[in-house]
Amino acid sequence: MVRSQVETSSHEGLSIGGYALIYVVLLVLTVATFLLSRHDFGIWSTVIALAIAVAKASLVALFFMQLWEHGGTYRLAVATALLWLALMIVFILADVKTRFPLAVPSNAPMADQPVHGGPGTGKPGPTQRQTPP
Amino acid sequence: MNPSVDRDAGFPAHHYLNAGTTVRSWLLTTDHKRIGVMYLGLILIALFLGGMFALILRFEHLTPGPTIMDPVTYNRMFTLHGVTMVWFFLIPAIPSVFGNFFLPIMLGAKDVAFPRWNLASVYIYAVGAAFTIGAMIYGAADTGWTFYAPYSTSTAITVTPVLLGIFILGFSTIVTGINFIVTIHTMRGPGLTWMRLPLFVWAIYGTSIIQVLATPVLGLVLLLVAVERIFNFGLFDPARGGDPILFQHLFWFYSHPAVYIMVLPAMGVISETVSCFARKNIFGYRAVAYSSLGIAFVGFFTWGHHMFVAGQSTFDAGAFGVLSMFVGIFTAIKVFTWVGTLYKGAIRFTTPFAYISGFLFFLVFGGMTGIAVATVSLDVHWHDTYFVVAHFHFIMVGAAMMAFLAALHYWFPKMFGRTYSEGWGLVSASLIILGFNATFIPQFLLGNMGMPRRYYNYPERFQSLHVASTAGSTLLFFGFVIIFIYLVLALKYGRVAGRNPWGSLGFEWNTPSPPPPHNFEKELPTFTRGPHEYQVVPEVSNVA
Amino acid sequence: MSPEPEVAEHFANAQVQRNAVRLGMWAFLGTEILLFAGLFAGYAEYRSLYPEAFFYCSRHLDATLAMIETAVLITGSFAVVLAHHYAGERRGGLTSLSLLAAVATGGAFLALHGVEYVTHFHEGALPGRYYTLAEIPIAGSSMFFTLYFLMTGLHSLHVIAGAGVLAWLALRAARGPITEHKYNAVELGGLYWHLVDLIWIFLFPLLYLI
Repeated sequence: MVRSQVETSSHEGLSIGGYALIYVVLLVLTVATFLLSRHDFGIWSTVIALAIAVAKASLVALFFMQLWEHGGTYRLAVATALLWLALMIVFILADVKTRFPLAVPSNAPMADQPVHGGPGTGKPGPTQRQTPP
Repeated sequence: MNPSVDRDAGFPAHHYLNAGTTVRSWLLTTDHKRIGVMYLGLILIALFLGGMFALILRFEHLTPGPTIMDPVTYNRMFTLHGVTMVWFFLIPAIPSVFGNFFLPIMLGAKDVAFPRWNLASVYIYAVGAAFTIGAMIYGAADTGWTFYAPYSTSTAITVTPVLLGIFILGFSTIVTGINFIVTIHTMRGPGLTWMRLPLFVWAIYGTSIIQVLATPVLGLVLLLVAVERIFNFGLFDPARGGDPILFQHLFWFYSHPAVYIMVLPAMGVISETVSCFARKNIFGYRAVAYSSLGIAFVGFFTWGHHMFVAGQSTFDAGAFGVLSMFVGIFTAIKVFTWVGTLYKGAIRFTTPFAYISGFLFFLVFGGMTGIAVATVSLDVHWHDTYFVVAHFHFIMVGAAMMAFLAALHYWFPKMFGRTYSEGWGLVSASLIILGFNATFIPQFLLGNMGMPRRYYNYPERFQSLHVASTAGSTLLFFGFVIIFIYLVLALKYGRVAGRNPWGSLGFEWNTPSPPPPHNFEKELPTFTRGPHEYQVVPEVSNVA
Repeated sequence: MSPEPEVAEHFANAQVQRNAVRLGMWAFLGTEILLFAGLFAGYAEYRSLYPEAFFYCSRHLDATLAMIETAVLITGSFAVVLAHHYAGERRGGLTSLSLLAAVATGGAFLALHGVEYVTHFHEGALPGRYYTLAEIPIAGSSMFFTLYFLMTGLHSLHVIAGAGVLAWLALRAARGPITEHKYNAVELGGLYWHLVDLIWIFLFPLLYLI
């Protein structure tokens, strides 16, 4: 039987129990985010949902993907990719929010589709938490 | 009395070119040097095709109105020219040829980190290229290389095969980028700290980071255009609530950093050669090394300067305009460093040095016009005119191509073991530099006068400048023909180069020319100095 | 037939080899994040342009089903963590079983997701000009479903690819001893699977909950 020459540490990382704990926490967070989304907290709904998503993602990345123990270059790679994602979103959102109004697609609605709900569309009008454009 | 010259005296008996002479040994090679040579062959074909398309365009512009083709063919021709040159020549040229060949040798390694993936990248490139160029020659794509929606999503002319071909090619770029990043991080030889890396390696590292971060975005946006063409979901279609400017944001997020994929390795070549031909320490090693990373990162913050008049908000336009200036800072740092290296150096005016000179002039001129068009108020006038065309050709041809030729001439003796004729080298360098100026300076004038780009027809008053530009392009063409001839002849009849014909202190010159299959004759090297240290500063003793 | 050497010739030693392949996979994961980035950016733009349409359309989706899908994928991630652990202990049989469990979660995810898709087909909640959902007639609603199908579609393609890789690794783990290469491969396949899970961790709230 061929055994590896190098002492591969199967001691690297957590124990199975440790990983099981992380797994349970992830499931709890999943249920939590679902239950919380059933209520309307205004703008905070989005913040809470994304915060929980970030927490779950961090657990997966740091422990399941072992970023916590390997550190260094891998963390740099992930951080860079995420920063670049943010860069793209920030500039594109900033564009669409500060554009000359007639160049914004939602300000030139399609003839048969109103942008907002209201009488005649069968849908309630804008909800309280939406700021009118 | 006169012994017959043994043409092959001093030529190594066993090297990477004759280790295995079957076709199979080439097609299945994992030797990074052979892979570099295969890339060289492929990108030279792409250069030839892209150049032919350019010449055809220039001939069409000899007269206003129809000259040798109809308008739709003209549109296809500039699309062919742009797509071929950008993706199949400029992006792979220096990294995939010289990066592949020299990165492991410069690091004291036997190969790159993933040799079989390296081989795969050649095939991916070839398939992507064949697909794209084949599709275009069969009548596809008249959108320009930028594929702007809504035209690209709605034109009746076929676009999807071209999108697919470039999508495939993108994987070649990504694989190469990952390979180089991992090689540089994990396979440096003993004693080779980051601050002793050759500046070419720093440039390749920055380039690879850009390749890895940017190319996937291109993959997605091409995929979205294809999906739009097939299904018409309306992602970029205002009639369905979509935003065509979103396409431009996603496209240029990749395509602006892409131009740094083209120019950063070129700068690396210049850093590598300038200290050799001035026999002087590089003026500011850290400045050049860090500015390579600086350009790689800052290049991502500027994409909206292609969209000043597209309809994006003036806030974004202003932000992108300011951020674009930062790239100029890092480029200027490099230019001052190179000039500082040349100052009071012992200069040998060889063919590579002729190209370095051309590069410096064209990079500064092209770079400054880049700063000019990155200024929002000026670009409103120049956008989509020949001024922009001239600007980017100054960088892509004037700078990147000159650096490619410098690299080719500098490293030809190492790669193939023979030297070429310096006389012909200088003649063709002169033709190319002269021809380049004659081709593109008229285009600055044309653009400033209002000649739009991608226009088939033009008013009579622009004709003399167009004719001048076309004349220059034929000079360029002859320069390339001459280079091709003497380099091919040198492969067989050139004088044996020996280990280090330039007397360079670069690490790659420590191994035979051509190198043995595993790069080094005996053990792997250890490193005790940096690669550009021509003057050893004596230790000043405090003891009297 | 001589076995492939445990450490490839061009690497100094096994640790260098492991670091190299791991860095290569992380760099590749970075490219996958950037691949999805454009779609997230499009989502951000169109959500900001059509807040009501997105509000109503997301409530129209089945969040409970999506929560189950999320739990399924997280279970798959746990399974590949186990696989990596067992591979480290050179226990090929358990490695293979864990990997197959992960493949099964992938299959379950795709099945549940398929149920969602079929429902949408029947009710006309489809992208672009195929959108015929009478309940939400406002502008931007077809755009929501365009993004929904593009993002979950691209994600599902990655689930299929990931499941394929894990299945192949499971096969290799079952045959013969766990060599250095196989151990590394299980780690790399696991990393890819975790990424697929990570993308869904964000798609779930963005599409279904807010």
